[in-house]
Amino acid sequence: MKGTHQTLTFLTVALLLLSTGCQRGKDAAARDVPTIALVMKTLNNPFYIDMEQGARAAAGKLGVRLLVQAPDREVDVEKQMQVIENLIQRRVAAICITPSGSKEIVPAIIKANRAGIPVLILDTRVDSIALAEAGGRVATFIGSDNFQGGRIAGEFIVKQLAGQGKVAILEGIPGHETGDARLGGFHQVVSQAPGIEIVASQTANWERGQGYNVFQNIMQSHPEVQALFACNDLMALGAIEALAAAGRSGDLLVVGFDAIDDAREAIAAGAMAGSVAQNPAEMGKLAVEFAHGLLRGETIPEYFPVPVELITLQNVAASPTAANN
Amino acid sequence: MRLKAFTWEYGRQFGTLAGLVGLTLVLWALTPHFMTVSNLMNVVQQTSINAIIAVGMTLVIITAGIDLSVGSIVAFSGVVLASALQADIPLPLALAIGLAVGAFSGWMNGLLITYGRLPPFISTLGMMSVARGSALLYTGGRPISGFSADFRYLATGEILNIPLPVIIMVIVYLLGHIVLTRTKLGRYVYAIGGNEQAAVLSGVNVKFHKAAVYALSGLLSGLAAIILTARLNSAQPIAGIMYELDAIAATVIGGTSLMGGSGRIIGTLIGALIMGVLRNGLNLLGISSFIQQTVIGSVIILAVLMDMALKKQRT
Repeated sequence: MKGTHQTLTFLTVALLLLSTGCQRGKDAAARDVPTIALVMKTLNNPFYIDMEQGARAAAGKLGVRLLVQAPDREVDVEKQMQVIENLIQRRVAAICITPSGSKEIVPAIIKANRAGIPVLILDTRVDSIALAEAGGRVATFIGSDNFQGGRIAGEFIVKQLAGQGKVAILEGIPGHETGDARLGGFHQVVSQAPGIEIVASQTANWERGQGYNVFQNIMQSHPEVQALFACNDLMALGAIEALAAAGRSGDLLVVGFDAIDDAREAIAAGAMAGSVAQNPAEMGKLAVEFAHGLLRGETIPEYFPVPVELITLQNVAASPTAANN
Repeated sequence: MRLKAFTWEYGRQFGTLAGLVGLTLVLWALTPHFMTVSNLMNVVQQTSINAIIAVGMTLVIITAGIDLSVGSIVAFSGVVLASALQADIPLPLALAIGLAVGAFSGWMNGLLITYGRLPPFISTLGMMSVARGSALLYTGGRPISGFSADFRYLATGEILNIPLPVIIMVIVYLLGHIVLTRTKLGRYVYAIGGNEQAAVLSGVNVKFHKAAVYALSGLLSGLAAIILTARLNSAQPIAGIMYELDAIAATVIGGTSLMGGSGRIIGTLIGALIMGVLRNGLNLLGISSFIQQTVIGSVIILAVLMDMALKKQRT
């Protein structure tokens, strides 16, 4: 009986050792090099994988150590806070965060502030009022101009429909600054086109599977819809699958956001009309470069807008994928 | 026979504790950042929410049930609590409302299981969706943020350098232990899980006590929601997704059998701490998030394998 205990306890510990063994060597070798942490929303979305690759490339070039961590689920802001707390304990030199919640991340930022660790924000803006009220500060915000991106998508749809038609929208998680800005930009353009009617606007929580289901339901109630604006590509791709299942592939003008590789393929294949490209690899690269500069006492901009562009059939072949930048 | 059962119970606790101690020693050796007072407080604080939910889960699982709705109840009680706080309702009353929403949702589970004769899996699966939908409906999908310092003190405050969530957790475990070992409800929980028919025949009001256990589980989810909301200074309708699995994992690692009838509350605390220490340690070591999930899953499987091996030896 005791033997079994010991064997199994040993196995558990061995498992952990196994998973940490190789890490330790690296740890020892890189002791004098500053460690910059990059805390993502998730690591299972190609957008963030591109961001990670951009950051890793920059870290390699600058000779800094980069730690990339993320909670299990994109929406789990409490787990993201735990990751940040743990990195503070590890006394990393700087923390770059893509916040899972614009307001919810504020207590974690305050903790880093108290520990004297600079915080750089990427991709999703922190709620400035909540941050100011709590007395927190961030070194910089590096992000796409999402409002402008929403406008570009709106202008494209209005032009393609010649100012006349019915449009559906797939929204992201409500309360996310990113999605709200994209929607805001889109609405601003569409509201000035009197012939365009928005017949449905529903959330699919940024997810591909939900994009499929929600758009299938929208098609049921509004079969006449001519164009779809999805606030990210995963939802757009889900909608495209739903169109294909209904035998209406390529029938609708679908515009997504992010221009991830799957979306680029869909655009090249004619299943998708366009996608607003962000440049996540550039964001990752800038975050590491800015953090490195900050540690060397350089001044960095408070806000650095990373340009967006619309990818369509015309330029999809010419435009490099984000991962290759 | 009684003696044998005791040895097995304590043996199992010892195994879990040895696992926690082993893990701690390994992390101590691997990173200088682990064994510091501030980090250990950090770990226990991070564990507190899951650990509190897991007390309710342990009671439910000892009755041979399951509660899949805890994460959604956390979200629902959280948003109702948040709206009460923003309506400037006095703090104690707002907290009571949050707890009541949790307890009521849990009690509904209990009624569906006992009087509705639904399997716990089905009833709580339904409640998981109902409570999540209610939370989204109640808020229009948007988080409710920004509360008074008084309320936030529940997560940020410290007494004698010990964070309040940790103190709340310790009190919940003491109460849980007393309920399970020293009260009628505790004895009935084991009796129902051991053999429900026998419990009915020996005059236990099974329906009442079973419903009470689910209400208690809901109440503790409401308590977890209070701490979570204070910690993030925000209540999200999408909070608490997958919390049920973390609570079940802590319970199972702690040696409570999914077949019901056996388990100890202290085991669950150790189980929750093992999960918290693992997540913390893997973060400190800078190990990929994907490996973290794999390791935690493997620990759950190992813990159950250990149970099965021990039970085989017992017979």
